[in-house]
Formats: sequence, C-alpha cells, structure tokens
Amino acid sequence: MNHSFVRLLLALVLIVSLAGCTAVAPAPSAGDAAAPAEASITVAVVTPYMANATTKYAIEQFEKYGKEQGWNVTVTDTNADFNQLVSRIEDAVTQQVDAIVLGMGDPAQMTKGLEAAQAAGIPVFGLDAGNGPGVVLNITSDNGQLGKETAHFLAEAIGGKGNVIMFTHDPHPGVRARAEAAAAEFANYPEITVIEKKHIEVPGPVDFARNATQDLLTAYPNDGDIAGIWAGWDEPALGATQAIEAAGRSGIVVVGIDGTDFARAEIAKGGPFAASIAQDFDGMAKQLVEIIAAYLKGEKPASDSVQIPGVLVTGE
Amino acid sequence: MQADNSVSTTAGLRQGANRWLRVYGTFAGFVAMIVIFSLLRPGVFLSPNNLRNITEQVAILAIVATTMTVVMVVGDFDLSVGALASLSGVVVADMLIQGVGLWPGVGIALLVGAVAGLFNGLLVAYFGLSAFVATLATMTAFRGLSLFYTNGSTLFSGIPESFKIFGQSFTGPIPNSVLIMLAVLIVTWFVLEQTTLGRRLYAIGGNAQASYLAGLNVRALRLTAFVISGLGAALAGIVLTSRLFSAHPTAGEPLMLNSIAAVFLGMTMFREGEPHVLGTFVGVLLLGVMSNGLNILQVNSYLQLVLTGVIILLAVLLSGLARRE
Repeated sequence: MNHSFVRLLLALVLIVSLAGCTAVAPAPSAGDAAAPAEASITVAVVTPYMANATTKYAIEQFEKYGKEQGWNVTVTDTNADFNQLVSRIEDAVTQQVDAIVLGMGDPAQMTKGLEAAQAAGIPVFGLDAGNGPGVVLNITSDNGQLGKETAHFLAEAIGGKGNVIMFTHDPHPGVRARAEAAAAEFANYPEITVIEKKHIEVPGPVDFARNATQDLLTAYPNDGDIAGIWAGWDEPALGATQAIEAAGRSGIVVVGIDGTDFARAEIAKGGPFAASIAQDFDGMAKQLVEIIAAYLKGEKPASDSVQIPGVLVTGE
Repeated sequence: MQADNSVSTTAGLRQGANRWLRVYGTFAGFVAMIVIFSLLRPGVFLSPNNLRNITEQVAILAIVATTMTVVMVVGDFDLSVGALASLSGVVVADMLIQGVGLWPGVGIALLVGAVAGLFNGLLVAYFGLSAFVATLATMTAFRGLSLFYTNGSTLFSGIPESFKIFGQSFTGPIPNSVLIMLAVLIVTWFVLEQTTLGRRLYAIGGNAQASYLAGLNVRALRLTAFVISGLGAALAGIVLTSRLFSAHPTAGEPLMLNSIAAVFLGMTMFREGEPHVLGTFVGVLLLGVMSNGLNILQVNSYLQLVLTGVIILLAVLLSGLARRE
C-alpha cells in the first residue's frame, strides 16, 4: 500500500516535471539588426497557446506587422502553463518593454502578472484574449456576430422556413455566445422552428455529432422534417454532414463556424455542408499593431474592446 | 417442522431470486430498456435501419472494450486506449497521405498499437508500476504524440478512397466496421474461453501469487494482455479514422472511460464479478442502445449523461447488493 502510494507520487512528480520541461520558453526572436532607429520600441508577446495553429498564425501576423513598424517583437510560449505565463509577464515587466501583448488566454488567469505590469506603467493589450485589470484594450472576433451571420446564411439558404437543429456546447463561453446570437437570428424568421439544441461532447465531437445526427434523422424520418443544422463550430458540422450523406438524405443544409481547412474542403464539394465563417486573425493582428503604435504616440483608444467581423466561407 | 420447512423454502426462494438478480438483473434491465424504447417510438426504434445504426455506432467501442476485457481479466487497467486509438488513427491517416499504400499503412498503425501495448506491459509487468499509474502516464504521452504529430490539426486531405473499406463500406447489408467488431469479439472470446492462454489469464486475475507459484509466467502473460489491448485500440483508431475519413488528434479519447464502463457492466452479467467477452459486448450494446434511444426520444443532452451514470451505478449496485445477501 505504502509502496504503491510512493510510486504514485513518484510518477506524478515525473509527469509534472516532464510537463515543466516542455514548457521551457523558446528564445525570444533576435532583435532585427537592420531595424531603423525606432527599434528601441520592444513589444513582448506572451502566449500559453502557441501549439494551436490559429494562435500561431495570429501571433506570426502580429510579428510581421510589428516588424514593419520597426519594432522589436519577442514571442514567449508557455505551452498552456498559466503559472509560467505570469512569470514571463513579470520578466517582461523587469525588462521594461514598451508594451505587452497577450496572445489568447484568459486574463483572469494571470492577474498577478497583469498587476505587476500595471504597477510598472507598462500597457497590456489582448490579441483575442479578454479584458482584465491593466488590459488597455482587447481585440477579438465577436462570437455573437459569427453566430448571427452563419444563422442568417442558413435561414436564407432554407428559404426562411423549416425545422432547424442546433449543435451547441454551452460550457464554452465563446460557443455559447455564438449559439445565443444564432438562436436570436432564427427567432427573426417566424416560419423557422429550432426543434432541438443538442449538447455536443468533447473530445470526439465529430463522431458524437455523427451519431447524434444519425439518431435525429431516425427520429425525423421524412425528407423536409429537418431543413437545417447549425453547428457552433466546424467539427460537429462535419459529423452532421457525414451522417446526412451516409443516410442518403437530401435537402438538409449544414453550417459551421471557424472556417477550418477541413470545413473548407467539405464546403468545396458542394454537399450538405454549405458555409462556415472564419475569424479574421490577420485583420486583428494588423489593427492591433496600429492601435499600439497610436497608443505609444499618446493616442488612447476610445474603448477597451475592438471587434473584428468574420469572413463567411461558402461554396461560391 | 412445517414452520421450519416454509422458512427454508422462502429463504431458498429469496436465495434463488438473489442469484437470478445478480446474474441476469442487468440483462433484464437491458431488455426492459429495449421494450420501453420500442413502446415509446413504435416502428422507429426497432426498425432495421435503426438497428443497423446502433450496431454501427457501437462497433468501435466494442472493439476497444473487448480487448480491454483481456487486460481486466488479469486484474489490470489500460487507461491509454483512447489516446492510443487517436494516435494510431493519426498515424494511419498520415501514412496513407504519404502514399505508403493501404495495407502497409494499416500495418504500421497496428504496429504502433502493439509497440505501445508492449511498452505499457513492460512498465506494469516487468517494472512493477501499477497499471493505473503506468497507463495514466502513457495516456498523457500518447495524447501529446498525436498532437505533436499533427501540430494539433485535423488530417483529411489526400486520404485515398480505398481507406473507406474499414469504416464506411458494406459487405452485403452489413457495415464492414460491424464485421471487424464481430471478428474481434469471436477471436477474443475464443482465446479467453477456449484456450490454455485464456485459462491462464483468468488464473492470474483470480490469484496472481498462486499462479506464479503454480509455475505460470505471470509477467509474460500480463504483458501479452497489454499488447492485445494496444492492438485493439489501434484497430479501433483505424476504423474510427476510416469512418470519419479524417484523423483528429483527440478523436479516440471518449473510448477509454466508455470501454471501462462497458467491462464493468459486463461483470455484472451472466457470471459473477469476472470480466468476460459476452458481458462486455452486452455492456457496450446497453450503452449504445441507451444513447440511441434517448437521442430518438429527444431527451435533454445533459440529462442523458446523468441517466447513463445512474444506470451504470444501478447495475453495479444491484449485483453487489444481491451478492452481499
């Protein structure tokens, strides 16, 4: 008993230390030697999510536009470790950088670091992160707008009438905001009825949604019983599409959100998956660089939140 | 005299009822569930189409749960099966995209499963780690490998059509995934029930110390069980990837808890407290039928989870209570 407890502890220590090793921050990208005199401006980007393709893209775009301004941009990734993230923010404060950018990640989980920045008078900006103490401004996509636009597309695609099923995941605040806005949009169409809101489990959302769709097709066996399926993100939309195709049902329109590559491929096939919407991370990065440049020249932003509209992806 | 007799008769009756409850209670509950769903949605639930849907929906879980049964027969656990299914799914998709060909690609993915199972088995049987700790650690590592391999993205572009054979094609009216499931069930049942290897595995689960003293190579046998489980997880990952025609780095994860739940449900059926293939299969069916039926009845998604948990608890409690009497 004692032995196995000691082994359990040992193994846990091992796991934790392994996780710690992988979280070693990569070296900050070297300052551009050829940069002009303004290179004295240093912006530190800290992120817990560089492993995520979307985050990586957004941050790389930010780096690109920042360097165009002649800034020295450093990027630090903590591999989902928020405790390390606080330390890295504190490091940036010690180095007296001109601005700190949070590359995604909820500011509520790093208040200690943010307070240090605030005390040192270093402005913090959120790149699709969130608002919190010391965060001057957060730039993000409006999840509500993403939900509303895809719902609008679906409603128009089914001619403004019929039964709609929604695939949701309410514990996720972003997906929940999408679903609420979509439901509000469907409510604008008196002849559209949302017959079911189905909670999609993660991980494994594709298979889960596929099985759920298969069962719903059984519950609504006739063509025309279901006009459309709205999914809060692309994975469940893919599962729904596959179930509809496997069952040979026609006349059901599926929409997703995020504009992932597999969704684009599916939409290009011209099957049930008709549309998705992509967040404009390039636009976000570009505008954030402009906002920071203005801020450093003394122009305070009018609001603490800027929302960038999404880009609809359709077969056309 | 008479009083005595009647007492012993009622006691006997109660004992008989207890035994029946213990051995057939869960199965009776399963049958009752089918009857209720059929009555509530006549003509829909028991339609051939829906029955085919159910078997197709449970096929992948049944493969994992069947080979998980082998590990649990020797008294161990394998928490890494879900992550391993994801990993082998990612590997087979990538191999096919690289153009190594259908069968070499599948072979490599199965090899990944066997090697991973071997690694689990070495940690548990030869390095003396508890199965819980060892497979918890490898689960994390396998999940990391899938994410690292794919950089967190979904692999889908360039998978050849021929790969649909495992998860989407039919042989006659029967989905191929169901045929694969049946093959795994039959082979595993045969090995566990009809061979010396099976007897030995059960002997270790009964009493590892005694088995060792009786001259069984306990370590090699436990290792074998983990290799079988690794192979089953890899096969499930291949079928899942074929079914979704895309590989998601965490797609297999729900399989782990569900397969363990199915084996536990199976342990309450037909035989007392021993994992066995037939029980596991009915356990898988029970989970599948419940999810399908509740979906068709459009029961709230959150309540479905509650009901699933309650049913598993009821089954285990019922057989436990009956045993205590």
